[in-house]
Amino acid sequence: MRAGCSVGLLGIAGLVGGVVAALGRPAGAGTVAGRLELPPAPERGAVVARGFLDRVENPLIEIKKPNLAPYYVVALEGDARPGGAPPEITWDLVGESFARPVIAVPVGAEVVIRNQTKVPRTLAAAEDKKLLIGPLNPKGTKSFRATEPAIYTIGDGEAPHLRGKLVVVATPHVATLDDAGRFELPNVPDGSYKLRVFYFDAAAEARGGTSDWVFTADVTVATRGKASRVEVNGKLPPIARTAAAGKQERK
Amino acid sequence: MFWSKIWFFVVALAAAVAVTVALLLPRPAERALVRGEANRLQTACGVIHILLADDARNRVELAGAFARSPEIMAALEAASATEALDEGRMKQVRGVGESVMQAIQGSRKPDFAMLIDRRGRVVARVRIDEAEFGDVAAGRPLIDDALAGYLRDDLWAQNGTMYFVSAAPVVKQGGYVGAVVLGHQVTNELAGRLVKSLAVDMGFQLGADGVAGSKTIAFDHAAMQAQLAKLGPEIATDCEAVKPLEVRAGADDYTAIVARLPGEAGVKHAYYSVIIKRPEGLGLLATLKAIKQNDLAFGNFPWLVVGGGFVVALALGVGLMFIEADRPVRRLTGDAVRLAKGEIDRLGETHAGKLGSVARSVNIHIDKIGREAKSAKQDLDQLLGPAPEGGLGTIDLLATSLPAPRSFSAPIAPTALGSLGSMTALGSLPAPGALGSMSSGPAMPPPSEFRFQDPGPPPAPGPGRKPAAPSRGNTPPPFRAAAASGPGSGASMVPPPPPVVSPPPMRISTPQTAPLPPANPFASQPPMNLDDDILGRGSEPPPMRVESSAAHGDAYFRQVFDQFVSTKRRCNEPTGGLAYERFAEKLVKNREDLMIKTGCREVRFTVYVKDGKAALKATPVKDEA
Repeated sequence: MRAGCSVGLLGIAGLVGGVVAALGRPAGAGTVAGRLELPPAPERGAVVARGFLDRVENPLIEIKKPNLAPYYVVALEGDARPGGAPPEITWDLVGESFARPVIAVPVGAEVVIRNQTKVPRTLAAAEDKKLLIGPLNPKGTKSFRATEPAIYTIGDGEAPHLRGKLVVVATPHVATLDDAGRFELPNVPDGSYKLRVFYFDAAAEARGGTSDWVFTADVTVATRGKASRVEVNGKLPPIARTAAAGKQERK
Repeated sequence: MFWSKIWFFVVALAAAVAVTVALLLPRPAERALVRGEANRLQTACGVIHILLADDARNRVELAGAFARSPEIMAALEAASATEALDEGRMKQVRGVGESVMQAIQGSRKPDFAMLIDRRGRVVARVRIDEAEFGDVAAGRPLIDDALAGYLRDDLWAQNGTMYFVSAAPVVKQGGYVGAVVLGHQVTNELAGRLVKSLAVDMGFQLGADGVAGSKTIAFDHAAMQAQLAKLGPEIATDCEAVKPLEVRAGADDYTAIVARLPGEAGVKHAYYSVIIKRPEGLGLLATLKAIKQNDLAFGNFPWLVVGGGFVVALALGVGLMFIEADRPVRRLTGDAVRLAKGEIDRLGETHAGKLGSVARSVNIHIDKIGREAKSAKQDLDQLLGPAPEGGLGTIDLLATSLPAPRSFSAPIAPTALGSLGSMTALGSLPAPGALGSMSSGPAMPPPSEFRFQDPGPPPAPGPGRKPAAPSRGNTPPPFRAAAASGPGSGASMVPPPPPVVSPPPMRISTPQTAPLPPANPFASQPPMNLDDDILGRGSEPPPMRVESSAAHGDAYFRQVFDQFVSTKRRCNEPTGGLAYERFAEKLVKNREDLMIKTGCREVRFTVYVKDGKAALKATPVKDEA
């Protein structure tokens, strides 16, 4: 939905990399970290699954803004193909929602969905019905392997509100944002990369829209044999502007 | 009969129109009933929706009140501050929730409660799944909104049960510390209360399964679901948009209307249906069955108009029948009676229509008989020659074919025969009653010289044969006893001889099985009248049989001769020139000639008085029974 914010915008807030410290990491590998300024939380969307009445604001305090941070994932994509054994990613189903609404996983990684509730679920990927087959038993797990970069929407037909986004990327360097917008990608080999941020816009999808990458920045990691830390800061575009992808290249 | 036919046509047409109207009238009523049913269902559907919304408002207010409970606020604030929820905290919070629920007054007490901390975790459940806790309820729209600060309602469907749920945020000291969710189960009691004043039934369905209803009715929900599939996204207008459909449950037919339920349950195809039993009063017979006694009361039904119309129609029909049927037939009957009595020679030809045709046909036949009689007389004159003065006198011949003579089982006593009254044939009409006392079978007796000189009593009704009137004035009965014979009754009839191959003499004998009755076998018989002539007698004496033999033939001619002489004497005619041999010879010759000419098997001679003179009539009898 969003391609990224403008280069100028990121230029103001961004920081082009630098070697910060050597922390005993493998030679030729650095850490890409940073803070992405979250956009202002939008007003809550239209009521979902409305009952007989419209929802009513409580008269005591203001309506709480939604926390957008869990809906972003960061991926650092480079030219080099990922090496080594694909990791196993666990995605917890904690009740009426996933522990995180969106996760990014490397291609080839085994995704394990773990049901931590006593409610059986029948999960499926909207984009590929064959990706997940069979029920997810209470306290059970369901795993699959994503072989190609893709974006999957995992949900339960019996519980329309239960939806998660699985972003499969061709890089092992993926991360999530904390509530402050910070992220960290360790063990990044030297090279040129693109830092991309995906936003799961559940409200837009509820209206029939889609979610997309909303931020892109170029990152160069050059440790020269020393551990280094590349700081990437940026400002994520407002939700209302997510249709326009912004780019920010930082070194 | 023209107007009678027209009237019959009009009445039949009116009846057909009435039947058509009777069959058609229920149709508009049926359509009106269907429209009324549809309106009633739509109204009830809308009212139920309003009632459910009103109930939702009450439930939301209840959730808000629940969330404002200080104990709840404190419990959830403490739970939100902990990283991990344990059982002890769960029980403590559950106890708080239970105590608050027990304090709720009113008829709409919730069936369950969920206490959720600000992280979206279920700290405790009250009354349903009480042992479960710690799971994240956030994610559900209702709970997300409640955690964000909204009060709202929703419908949840869990394990085949539907709940009306409401949620409210729990706010303490200017911050959100959690949310509470109250659930009210959808029950039959709730459905019954919703339709209590609507005179309809309703049910809550979840897909193909019934959840609750005001009446336990097992429907095939496929038709309802198909109806729902046609609806647009806006569910608030379902009651107006959806069309009533006919559903069947067991032996009963219902009209139903369906409307979707909102919320999460709506995504799972939850809906409610409003149903009414289709009335049976559709169609003519069902409408007739539905008529009440009060409908036929004098004030509700135009009995005067209907009764008056019936009387007018009846009077018109009867009047037309009288004018066009009864009266002409009566006139013709009167003419026929007068004809039979000899008062007129022909039927009047003023009768209209087919009756006139009948009269004309009868007249034509009368004319024909007259012509044939005249021709036969001329033939007999040719056979017998002119009667000499003091001779045989006039000999008439009734040259018509007569029914076969009956055999006589008893001889006719000369005294009786000699005393037979004068009779005149009435055209070709046979006189079955003339010899009623002698007839025993379908064969007719010899023609009676029957004359309707006096009116006499009318024919008696009924199938039985009524004995004739005792006297007819100057007209004696054909076989009156000798003592009863009057001066003017000179005619007498002699039964013909039985059919023989050989010419006379003929003999009248008494059969062995029937002994000869006393001197006058007819003395006890009443005189003949018109009724007897037409209907015959009710009881008849044993028939007389005439046996063929020369002796009997001779006796027959002697008998005829004696009657002839006797008659001439009574008429003061000279009888000196009469000799039996010549008379018998003449009769034999005439008999033979007549048999040859007419082909009859026998000839009957009758003595009667004509123009004050004795006359002899020969009647050929063509066949024999």
